[in-house]
Amino acid sequence: MSVGTGALGRRRVLPAPVTGQEFVLVGVIALLWVALAVSTPAFLTAGSIQPLLVATAPVALVGVGMTIVIVTGGIDVSVGGAIMVCSVLTAKALVEAEVNLGVAVLLSVAVGGVLGLVNGVLIAYGRVHAIIITFGTANLFMFLGLRIFGSGTVNGIPGTLAFFGRGPDGRTLGVPHAFGITVLITAAAWWYLRHTAGGRHFFAIGGDAQAARLAGVRVQRRVLLAYLITGLLVGLASCFVIAQGTSTLDQSVGSGKELAVIAAVVIGGTSIMGGRGSVLGTLLGALLVQSVASGVTQLGWRSQLSDLFVGLFIIVAVGADLLRARARRNR
Amino acid sequence: MTTATAVTAASTGNAGARVLRVLLTQRIALLAVLIVAVVITFFVQDAGGYLTAPYDFDYMSASLINAVPLAMLGLAELLVILSGRGGIDLSVGAIVSLAGMIFGFAYGEWGWPLWAAIVLTALFGALLGAVNGFLVSYIGFPALIATLATYYAYKSLAIVINNQEPISTPPIQKLFSISESVELPLFGQYVPDVPLGIFTFLLPTVVAVWLLLARTTYGRRLYAIGTNDVAARWSGLPVRDTRFKAYVYAGVLSGLVAVVTVGQFASARPDAGVSGNGMALPAITIAVLGGVAITGGIGRVSGVVLATLLIVWLNAGILLAFVGNEGSQYQLLALGAVLVFAALLNGLTNRRYGGTA
Amino acid sequence: MTEQTQTPRLRLAGIAKRFGAVRAIQEADLTVRAGRVHALVGENGAGKSTMIKIVSGAETADTGTIEFDGVPARIGGTTDAIALGIATVYQEPQLFAELTVAENIFLGRELKKTGRVDWAEQNRRVVELLERLGLPARYATVTVGTLSVAEQQQVSIAKALAAEASVLILDEPSAILTDAEIEVLFDVVRRLTADGVAVVYISHRLDELFRIADEVTVMRDGRTIGTYPISELTVRQIAHLMVGEELSDARPHRRVPDGPTVLELCGLAREGRFHDVDVRVGKGEIVALYGLVGSGVSEIAAAVYGIDRITGGEVHIDGKRVTPRSPAHARHLGIALLPANRKVEGMFGFQSIAFNISAGQLRLLSRFGTFLDRAREKAVAVDLIRRLAVKTPSERQPINAMSGGNAQKVVLARQLVERPKVLILAEPTQGVDVGAKEEIHRLITELAEEGTAVLVVTSDLPEALRIADRIQVVRGGTTTEEFGPDATQVDLLAAAAGGTA
Repeated sequence: MSVGTGALGRRRVLPAPVTGQEFVLVGVIALLWVALAVSTPAFLTAGSIQPLLVATAPVALVGVGMTIVIVTGGIDVSVGGAIMVCSVLTAKALVEAEVNLGVAVLLSVAVGGVLGLVNGVLIAYGRVHAIIITFGTANLFMFLGLRIFGSGTVNGIPGTLAFFGRGPDGRTLGVPHAFGITVLITAAAWWYLRHTAGGRHFFAIGGDAQAARLAGVRVQRRVLLAYLITGLLVGLASCFVIAQGTSTLDQSVGSGKELAVIAAVVIGGTSIMGGRGSVLGTLLGALLVQSVASGVTQLGWRSQLSDLFVGLFIIVAVGADLLRARARRNR
Repeated sequence: MTTATAVTAASTGNAGARVLRVLLTQRIALLAVLIVAVVITFFVQDAGGYLTAPYDFDYMSASLINAVPLAMLGLAELLVILSGRGGIDLSVGAIVSLAGMIFGFAYGEWGWPLWAAIVLTALFGALLGAVNGFLVSYIGFPALIATLATYYAYKSLAIVINNQEPISTPPIQKLFSISESVELPLFGQYVPDVPLGIFTFLLPTVVAVWLLLARTTYGRRLYAIGTNDVAARWSGLPVRDTRFKAYVYAGVLSGLVAVVTVGQFASARPDAGVSGNGMALPAITIAVLGGVAITGGIGRVSGVVLATLLIVWLNAGILLAFVGNEGSQYQLLALGAVLVFAALLNGLTNRRYGGTA
Repeated sequence: MTEQTQTPRLRLAGIAKRFGAVRAIQEADLTVRAGRVHALVGENGAGKSTMIKIVSGAETADTGTIEFDGVPARIGGTTDAIALGIATVYQEPQLFAELTVAENIFLGRELKKTGRVDWAEQNRRVVELLERLGLPARYATVTVGTLSVAEQQQVSIAKALAAEASVLILDEPSAILTDAEIEVLFDVVRRLTADGVAVVYISHRLDELFRIADEVTVMRDGRTIGTYPISELTVRQIAHLMVGEELSDARPHRRVPDGPTVLELCGLAREGRFHDVDVRVGKGEIVALYGLVGSGVSEIAAAVYGIDRITGGEVHIDGKRVTPRSPAHARHLGIALLPANRKVEGMFGFQSIAFNISAGQLRLLSRFGTFLDRAREKAVAVDLIRRLAVKTPSERQPINAMSGGNAQKVVLARQLVERPKVLILAEPTQGVDVGAKEEIHRLITELAEEGTAVLVVTSDLPEALRIADRIQVVRGGTTTEEFGPDATQVDLLAAAAGGTA
């Protein structure tokens, strides 16, 4: 790759590609899996791991976009509402227009993109804090979603999206497609954020938007793009959500997903203050959260107990970071 | 001649600009105008027969029961947002759930007297708020993260604590009376009946928070740290302690809302504060709509109260304007649209007049 | 020397600049030659920073001509200056902490190869640049946040030079550096001049000019007094040129009281900041701690007020040893402080004057320590507004709508709600107009007359002389010489800037 750059080509020209937080997460997940495997032998089987990976996919995928948004110093609490809009529209299209897989995905992604664009325009050009705007659009999106639902559920969804589902159609060589696609997109985003000027600019904006502007970064466009990317990924993630469900979609779809996504991002080591973050960490964070949820059920505990662990993980992950920063300051 | 007309044009222009300026910079004035506009709109619709039931003073008064939890949690958000440094509390709804279960145990199962159960619930709310305050103020967590974490933790505990079962023993069922309307003494026959919860919970809370913010030294300290916490430190103010207490007070208010909610449902439900959209989102919306600046140091009790009235009466009207559950859907539209509108207005105001009053 | 006959790299002549009614620069000339270090010195407010802003394009001159390599040039904005090859490094590095040094240097104009950033090439150029500056090549791939302040400054210089600069302006680069770090800086500067870069070096520390500068231009009251080869001058002579010939302003000499010692600092130290600080302030006495920016003088004030931890030595109040743990504790001990950075440390921006005054003494203005006594608050605010001659229609005005001088009086008023035993004033008249400055000085004197022990921490030389009964010079993080009110500005400046010559 770096042929011709001479001696320097061999030297590392960027900081380590994987951060300490990610190693820790890999360790924690490994530890958890070993513990679960010991206590419930059924855990480390394809029948248990595959659904776990499928369930991780939507949160991790939206998490990629959320990571970029948070890196720029923003936040998007409307993704739950946006998931509802995309999935109900797509489900209706599947039931009523009997569209095929490609059209369904395109439709969902396009709708997600439009919703992301709305957020992006309002935040980049309205100069209002992202959390306020997206709290507002969260309500608007939920309204839209519920209007499309009408009075009840969407029933009789055909298996068109089984490619993304839990069933045998959703796997190639044992790897669930939804998870494989998520990993590929995460890898692409990782490369984009690390190796392109545009990607690096997200970090500069989160570090100091004013200074970034002075350095020639087109801040408003970048911010807009961050929300647009999130919207597009929400669209794809909504297809995963439909595929994972039964043939019925009810009105609770997407509810609370914004907090689940933010939790995954934060556990993954992305700083809520902006300027620092990693999509790899987010993927691991989502995997950890889902592993806990899956572990809790397999141990026969009450499933809601997993939320308690999510809360504790957030506190430990962020708290450790804060204490490290404090130690560095006092040095 | 031309000069004279020019002058009058200019002066009317000035008057118009002044009114605009007042509406944009004085959130209270804007909210008052909007409330009047909403009420008149629905009165006109009512007169035209477009509504499914009469929108009159009795109806408006009865709908105030919805204002009780909304305004109280809006005030809780006011306290934490005022404290600055990105102050926010996502966990209020989860505290309502968990504290509600505690209330359910104490009053519904252990047979405690009502007052003791309420005090216990408020103290428990304070404890949960103290966890938030400790993480934010003493450890230095961003408030969004700390309260996201405790949101998950409290929500989970509320469900696990009684095996997902609600508590609705006879004493709890009888509590429904808080939501009933009563006739006011003396001049009661001339005005509509008012929900009891307004007097037992909302008004005392509003007065207490107003006293706290506008009349005590604590209120001053809170505004000071929210405005500039570096200057507050150099002035010798206890910055951490003040911010910590803001979260504790928010917890107390959430605990009281838990009691109200148990009364309203006649049952201590483990998901009372987090089901659907939860309670945090509307509460933050109310606070922002009421003119509370997300950056801290700006915000008043009156703004939050008026914003609550606006939303409650708007929602009440919407419920009558649509058939079935369409009404609740359009309530989401109203809440979202009003919030985005208010936020964009804040942005505009900041650019044009350099800050809101 | 042949350079004298060369066309100068940059020549400014007859520059003048007004801000409203204030004449920042009246008549200034500056000639900078390639391969030379040109020092620009002057007291605070002499016009140095305005000159720099004009050269770097941040401001435009009202009159005067600018020539670059003998050709008339127009600098209408920062982009013009950058296009000419004029780079400026300000005191506070403006870098992105989470990005690497190479990224910081190329941000916004990344080198690209097939759509991605060409890290190897960027890195190669940065390493080259670092090597040219004599800095470690390993910096290139390190994130800026992990570097020290001095290292970040070196990176700022590298960043400025990445755009092929031929004139480099260093605005007080040494103020935040330790001696060892200054050596590294000088080494960088020497390498640059050897490459033919013209360096404009602004500094308060006169002694260091003799080690780095070739010539020096002195500014005073918005004029350039003259340009001299550094070898022909001594620190004392430069100090003389900076402050002018006139003696310190006529000051009504007050009878210096001989009261008991109220505040005494004995060998006070904070690791890495200051050490062996000895100061004594008597009842009713005004003592000035005078030191240049970076001398440690402001940190001493912060430590006595309990903001920073003291690591050695003792603080005595009325002869009793105390250890201020926090500003609240310091206030309890009777120490009040007017902070140096008014906007950040002093003002509650959009709050009212009354709010700003009462914020420091809420307990005193309350009933039962809980409820605010609003009538008392208003009375106290109105009284202090009158006593301090704050110009405002009412005590309800927000403080951020006021002029610097008036806002400063309000922050000062906060310290006077209860008459403090010890009043420390850090840079009490920075960014304050002349009229308000006079009034603040008068107030300080009055407070001393009433028995307060006053410690003025200042880098403003005439101020120290005008109001203090005694002046302690701080240099290199410690108190050095003590002067009486009869000292001359030249004596003080020479003592603070490190000239014994």
